[in-house]
Amino acid sequence: MAHNFRTDLTIDWCPGCGDFGILTSMIQALGEMNYGPHDAVVISGIGCSGKTPHYVNLAGAHTLHGRGIPFATGVKLANPKLKVLVTGGDGDLLSIGAGHFVAEGRRNTGLTIILFDNEVYGLTKGQAAPTMPLGMQTKSLTKPNVYNRVNPVAMALAAGYSFVARGFSFDTKQLKEIIKRGLMNDGSSLIDVLQPCPTYNNINTMDFYRQKVYKLEDDKSWDPIITESTKDPMEKYRLANSRALEWDEKIPTGIFIENRTIPSFTKRLNEYIPNYLTSPPATQSISDSKGYTIVDPARTFADKIV
Amino acid sequence: MTKLDVNVVIGGPQGGGIDTSANLMSRAFAFSGFDIFSTREFHSNIKGRHSYVHIRARDTKVQGLKYPPDILVALDPDTIFEHFEDIGKGTKVIYDSSFATSELSQARMIMRDTASRIKSVLDENKLENNVKGMLEYMKSHGGILFPIPFEEIVRKAVDDGVPSRYYNTLGAAITLSIIGIESESTKEAIKHIFGGKEKVIAPNLKVVDEAYRYAQDNKLAGESAGKKAKLSQFLLTGNDGAAIGKLMGGLRFQTYYPITPASDESSILEEHEAVKWLSGEAETLGSGGVTVVQTEDEISAVVMAAGAAMTGTRSATATSGPGFSLMAEGISFAGMDEIPLVITLYQRGGPSTGLPTRNGQSDLLFALNTGHGEFPRIVLSSGDVGECIYDSMKALNYAQRYQLPVLHLIDKNLANTTELVDGIDIKKEKVYGRNEPDGNGTYKRYSLDTKDGVSAIGAFGKNIFWLTGDEHDELGHVTEDTVMREAQMEKRFRKVKVAAEEIPVEEKAVIYGDKNAKITIVTWGSQKGPAIEAAEILSKQGIKCRVLYLRMFMPFPSEFVEKELRAGQTNIIVESNMLGQAAQVIRMNTGVDISNRILKYNGRHVTVDELVDGVKRIAQGKEKDVVLKNGA
Repeated sequence: MAHNFRTDLTIDWCPGCGDFGILTSMIQALGEMNYGPHDAVVISGIGCSGKTPHYVNLAGAHTLHGRGIPFATGVKLANPKLKVLVTGGDGDLLSIGAGHFVAEGRRNTGLTIILFDNEVYGLTKGQAAPTMPLGMQTKSLTKPNVYNRVNPVAMALAAGYSFVARGFSFDTKQLKEIIKRGLMNDGSSLIDVLQPCPTYNNINTMDFYRQKVYKLEDDKSWDPIITESTKDPMEKYRLANSRALEWDEKIPTGIFIENRTIPSFTKRLNEYIPNYLTSPPATQSISDSKGYTIVDPARTFADKIV
Repeated sequence: MTKLDVNVVIGGPQGGGIDTSANLMSRAFAFSGFDIFSTREFHSNIKGRHSYVHIRARDTKVQGLKYPPDILVALDPDTIFEHFEDIGKGTKVIYDSSFATSELSQARMIMRDTASRIKSVLDENKLENNVKGMLEYMKSHGGILFPIPFEEIVRKAVDDGVPSRYYNTLGAAITLSIIGIESESTKEAIKHIFGGKEKVIAPNLKVVDEAYRYAQDNKLAGESAGKKAKLSQFLLTGNDGAAIGKLMGGLRFQTYYPITPASDESSILEEHEAVKWLSGEAETLGSGGVTVVQTEDEISAVVMAAGAAMTGTRSATATSGPGFSLMAEGISFAGMDEIPLVITLYQRGGPSTGLPTRNGQSDLLFALNTGHGEFPRIVLSSGDVGECIYDSMKALNYAQRYQLPVLHLIDKNLANTTELVDGIDIKKEKVYGRNEPDGNGTYKRYSLDTKDGVSAIGAFGKNIFWLTGDEHDELGHVTEDTVMREAQMEKRFRKVKVAAEEIPVEEKAVIYGDKNAKITIVTWGSQKGPAIEAAEILSKQGIKCRVLYLRMFMPFPSEFVEKELRAGQTNIIVESNMLGQAAQVIRMNTGVDISNRILKYNGRHVTVDELVDGVKRIAQGKEKDVVLKNGA
């Protein structure tokens, strides 16, 4: 019988929240990937997005604000067989966790990161988050936003994520497909998900997005995949970057880049650490049947003997 | 074998081969069958500033350094200036005779504050502001000068290249010859250090020969110190010991962000990532290696290690003060979520960046209180290289047994101390098994059905359960229920009580020396060795002393410590900090106020002699607070 990926917990997101569409897409993607109960885990930081692991019937960790990525990296590196999803808000991943966001692009560990992008800090009553434009004033702000915005898609491309995409929380069909593609990517995937916060963001509403979003894949010539045989990978990045910067008139969704030529961090480690992928840290024996160490200090540290 | 107990300070510019000199000397002593103990002092600098190694070799076990040194070896003029206070009666000063005319004003790499202190000493004594002047000053303080024509000797040995490239070998070889170490041992050491590099070994051997010949010809060579069969021993620093212990203790995942003096441990692990297994059953079990990850910061380091721990992997991180500050929130999370995690905290001089490459023990109170909220933890400390090994194994075991963050304190001095370790006992510590869920019914990670507060710990990839930094129910879901909150708080703190009962008292505190002595020297960390030797020396001089050595601060051995401290007459705390932090912990746990304090906060290691002197001053009732000052 297929695993039920939903827990029976009551969800306490506000009615009309974009988070529901993301959760639905995730659950559907997990089901369609045919994962067993112990194949995947969900890791989050803090905020409304941080509650997601509790709603998914998989092992999960609701960690510290901004720290979903490093915790997830630890899980993945210790047990590379696991599929590791990270859910985080724009404040969580791009403000307090911005350093980890960039470092993860460089690592390309193999995480599927879903960015809940609603431009506000919801759980703390609507402060401006890093994706809110300069000068915008949502209803709970005392004055227009004095920060400029950061573009998560452009930032992910610059940081080196091997899969960069954007979805819209009310288009669960497209989002589910993007999440599946992300899960299939061997390296790390960043999926920016546009979503309204019906309580605190009265400007970027569901209607606002519905009127602006379009799908990259509607253009039949759009091909974001880079493989070893791609003739001009830089041209793909030029196109991806220029699409990433579109916002005012129309907002693109879909896959910006899927670069299969960047080796994942686990593959890189496997080059140096003996049998890393077949005997990763989580599956190794550490003691014999009598409970003593199996490490030979004299042979391992032979260079320290005089 | 002749009796031998010699202290050597060898100094030169950072990056100028001081480590090679020290390695050469340590090995030559070891190959002659002597025990050695050394520590390294250096600036936060890559090249040029003054760096030195203080080595002691002895025919019996050595566990501390004596001061002033018997021999000062200067590989550059700065060393002569920097060590102007380190001369006692009979201290031999070995230096390149060409240094004599070097001016203090040209010694640009000496810190301005130090240079001005040097200048005033020279001026007060109406001496020239150059090496010659300083050598005269040293002579007047009992120093015996040994000017050596470095260039001439090297030129006799090798005729190509830059002679100064061999000055580190020459300085060490001359010194070893003066001490009476046979050239055979010195040459064996050369071969050992430059293992396999024939092109490097050959000229260095010639330099050694010339050095010994020069010493012989000029009647400098000491009487042979003899030689005994060398044992197969490990020559290890505290950093090495911790790395070895962690690996033996089952560590398979370590994270770190570069910081002095902690990252050496991670580098050592990374260098040995291809683990070798014991023969027999172990060989059939062992596979893979240890994964060491350099993270983007210490926040990531602690959280990443926590993530790895939740897959069932024994995980750890290592850091120093500034990085440890960044880890505070992650440690609180590990406490709340009962994550088995070891943090090796290498203490250095604080606050802030402080003295990044110097010794300190000022993070004890912080380690006991790191992180917001109340959560259980274990805090232990090591005092010598052997303890670094076995305490690292224990730390991983404690983390696993009690499912909490374990903070293992090692001070900078110990991290950089080199000792000979006779052998590593692979059966001294067991590796605890995991308390895994039995697979019946719904798995509750934080089950309240537990006497000792420890619940079965599942693994990501094997079990479904949740973690949250929020207060949680038995499954790991968020709760704010009043009754569940109380129950989970009480469950977590039951573990501390159980740990306090289960961990034997000798793993927490130990008495060394005459049990009935009236004076008790209380100390921890790298003062262990010097304190034990100081107590022996004082006892021989009629001032009966013993040492109460503290190894664990949480859970604290309150009953034992209180009984011992109330039994004696004079208690003296010895620490490398300004506030007497361990004394504060003792008072907090036992009510006993230790009013005599010997403290050191100049960033340098505590030597046996200054400790002997400090205890005498207190014993004679002259002072209550003594501040130790030794070290350049």
